[in-house]
Amino acid sequence: MDRRDFLKGSAMTAATLAASRLAYGQDRAAVEPPSTARQGGDVQWNKAPCRFCGTGCHVQVGVQNGKVVAIAGDQKAPVNKGLLCVKGYHVGLALYGQDRLTTPLLRKGDKQVPISWEEAIDIIARRVLKDPKGFALYGSGQWTIPEGYAASKFVKAGLGTHNIDANARLCMASAVTGFLATYGVDEPAGCYDDLDACDVLITWGNNPAEMHPVLFSRVIDRRSRGEKVTLIDIGTRKTRTSGFADHSLRFKPNSDLAIACGIAHLLVENGTYDKAFVEANCAFRASSTPPTLEGKAISFEEYRELLKPYTPEKVEQLSGVSQKDLRMLAGLFGRRDVRITSLWCMGPNQHTQGTAMNSLLHGLHLLSGHFGKPGDAPTSLTGQPSACGTVREVGTLSHALPGGRVVAKAEHRAQMEEIWNVPAGRVSEKIGYHTVEMWKRFSTPTEQGGDVHTVWVQVTNPAQSLPNTHKLVDPSRKLADKFLIVSDVYPTATTRIADLVLPSAMWVEKNGMVGNSERRTQQWFKLVQPPGQARDDGWQLISVAHRLLELGFAGMKDKDGRFLFDVKGKDGRSVPIWEWSHYYDVNVDEHLFEEYRKTTRIKHKDLAPYQEYVKARGLRWPVVQQPDGSWRETRFRFSGFDDPYVKKGRDIQFYHSTSHDDRAQIWFQPYEPPPESPDSEYPFWLCTGRVIEHWHTGSVTMRIPQLRRAMPQAYVEMNRADARKLGVDNGDLVTVETRRGKLDLPVWLGGRGEPVEGSLFVPFFDERLLINELTLDAHDPFSKQPDYKKCAARVRRRERVAEKQK
Amino acid sequence: MPISSLVLTLDASPESRALALSELARDPRITLGPPVEGRWLPVVTETASPYEGEELAESLRELVGVSFVDVVMVDFSEEER
Repeated sequence: MDRRDFLKGSAMTAATLAASRLAYGQDRAAVEPPSTARQGGDVQWNKAPCRFCGTGCHVQVGVQNGKVVAIAGDQKAPVNKGLLCVKGYHVGLALYGQDRLTTPLLRKGDKQVPISWEEAIDIIARRVLKDPKGFALYGSGQWTIPEGYAASKFVKAGLGTHNIDANARLCMASAVTGFLATYGVDEPAGCYDDLDACDVLITWGNNPAEMHPVLFSRVIDRRSRGEKVTLIDIGTRKTRTSGFADHSLRFKPNSDLAIACGIAHLLVENGTYDKAFVEANCAFRASSTPPTLEGKAISFEEYRELLKPYTPEKVEQLSGVSQKDLRMLAGLFGRRDVRITSLWCMGPNQHTQGTAMNSLLHGLHLLSGHFGKPGDAPTSLTGQPSACGTVREVGTLSHALPGGRVVAKAEHRAQMEEIWNVPAGRVSEKIGYHTVEMWKRFSTPTEQGGDVHTVWVQVTNPAQSLPNTHKLVDPSRKLADKFLIVSDVYPTATTRIADLVLPSAMWVEKNGMVGNSERRTQQWFKLVQPPGQARDDGWQLISVAHRLLELGFAGMKDKDGRFLFDVKGKDGRSVPIWEWSHYYDVNVDEHLFEEYRKTTRIKHKDLAPYQEYVKARGLRWPVVQQPDGSWRETRFRFSGFDDPYVKKGRDIQFYHSTSHDDRAQIWFQPYEPPPESPDSEYPFWLCTGRVIEHWHTGSVTMRIPQLRRAMPQAYVEMNRADARKLGVDNGDLVTVETRRGKLDLPVWLGGRGEPVEGSLFVPFFDERLLINELTLDAHDPFSKQPDYKKCAARVRRRERVAEKQK
Repeated sequence: MPISSLVLTLDASPESRALALSELARDPRITLGPPVEGRWLPVVTETASPYEGEELAESLRELVGVSFVDVVMVDFSEEER
């Protein structure tokens, strides 16, 4: 047997074992990662969470001669139990695209020319000194936890402003405000274990079959093994998930609020809500004047009265969902003998009524008592590996502080000043600019109130992902005093228009920690060197901070005159981590994490010491030390059987209740029409979103030739009936136009997704076809999250394939 | 020649499964293991590049009769990068 045969034999054994586990539903025993059986046997295997979505799968990374040579699902990982989705391929390959950025580049005229790191760091520091208040940092849920903490500290403790925000504002912000309005604290109470126990899975405006396949297959595998799990897909467009569903419900855009109110109405009127659960654990809320996230208290009778207009007839008229289906949903929620898990993602979040919709989803589960038991959970999913762990928990947002604190509370600011050891008043009381506002001000002339002069972007691609880019991004590039700095691993739509580009290290080229959608914090070590002069984003921040210190900027010193990012070595002396050659002399991640950990207790988001995460495949917070010294994670928050912070003897306790009585809030939120609807001039709905082949803006996946071939460019999905009326067929070129811009796109009919009549879908991965030049920047009043899912558009036929071929 | 270890979850319908199996058997890059309980099919693919391996895995997702593709392992140790 030669080595190749041996490799194939090992691969087949691994596949057969995995197939058996899927077939018989046994949790795999903890075994060693599959051997790649290299002759010489010098492949080193180490754990790391996947670089892509918010699921938080763990992979085993095989490294040989300084290169990643193999990827395997981590058999010890509870999230994915040894399996990966097809993105498992490019999690390893993403490091090795031919056009990695490897040197800092400064714009000189039309060109970006190489410069030294020293020069780049100095340029950034001097942009800060120009006016610290006008310097903004824009990051993402791809920042690791320590990087995000460093970014937050740099801006909030160092610059004394809150001009830091993250792209999670564009995808998760309404989930956050929904959790806060309902429970007084962010992030799901349940976890992925719910998927193993639910009898009914409802997907609201999301497509986990393509976007979170490892989670979705947990449910599909149960069905394949003969378990009865009812799948209900509720959305505006038919997707791959709809294909698995027992009930696939299509609704008119924005009418999801009416559907939720309609279900609640039926539960109340039929007396099938969970009276005992509600009386023991819930209060009722409605909008206040002026509107706040706390709203105003209302009685059950007032709640009932507010729901009265949402009869099945009325909801059918508003939403297009049949009365029969509404009654079916209400019937399921009204049953005590089934367990219901709801999953949602961008549909309810990218919504001008996102906070309201998120609150209503939680409310349905509370009203019906489908909460707090394995399988009974309202759970929002995330799209980035650390939207939760970094952006939401560390608080890299313009209104937030680490550990669930908010800028608006003096007590929280004082706590952070103490932890950061900075003078009183250093943490500003002035909330910074949220994403849309930050970019609007960057794109507005200084003399007209555009008071953001510099934006430093890390780990995101706003020139492609922001809405209405003609308004928010393009104008800044014509203003001489506006300076754009971008740290990234590959050239992107944003690096191309930047004044200064910094090459970054990626994934296992650096140490890291992330937090997934189920409160699971995960850790990994650097396994390979970054290419050329690419360096960690965390180092870039600390290096600029130190340069500012050298230039006499007082903000980078603490109360005792020490550098804000001072790290001591084992000998008790400061390590010059701002010098790249010394950055890995100590584990900077561990130092930053241990400091951050001090902030996590007030909202009961307790984290374990760093070394506990080194040993584990992630731990779900709150992680609480046991009498024997071990650390125990929490699967089900607020549930007496599992959450250590619930008082002994109580089944449920919402200990961060906004009404301060241990109750969660069931909100009434009315249906409201969207800010822009189709009319005679723009008769179509336009919805944007993702595709399986490309991750978000495609900056990594478009570099993989086969993926680019499989999905080479953006397209417009249309309903066949609309295509017939327009006289267009597959591949024909049409112009899609909104009040903000227009774009020529090929038509795709009968593809994997199918919009209903009168609506269009365009993916946003293609930097040559920027659909976000057409989208609205209208956003939710509380979360400030824009609505990418609905605006009015028109379509004109441009060129038929047949004509083109003549 | 990267080697990938996959598990395909096949549809419940015997007709679709038969279609998928005959389609898979025609591709020389694919080695099929014995299906477990008729539904879970261990598969090993051998391709000229890891990218081709990924493309192949993607195409298997779209195959009639295949519900799901799970990746177990990808070895591209012989790839020159």
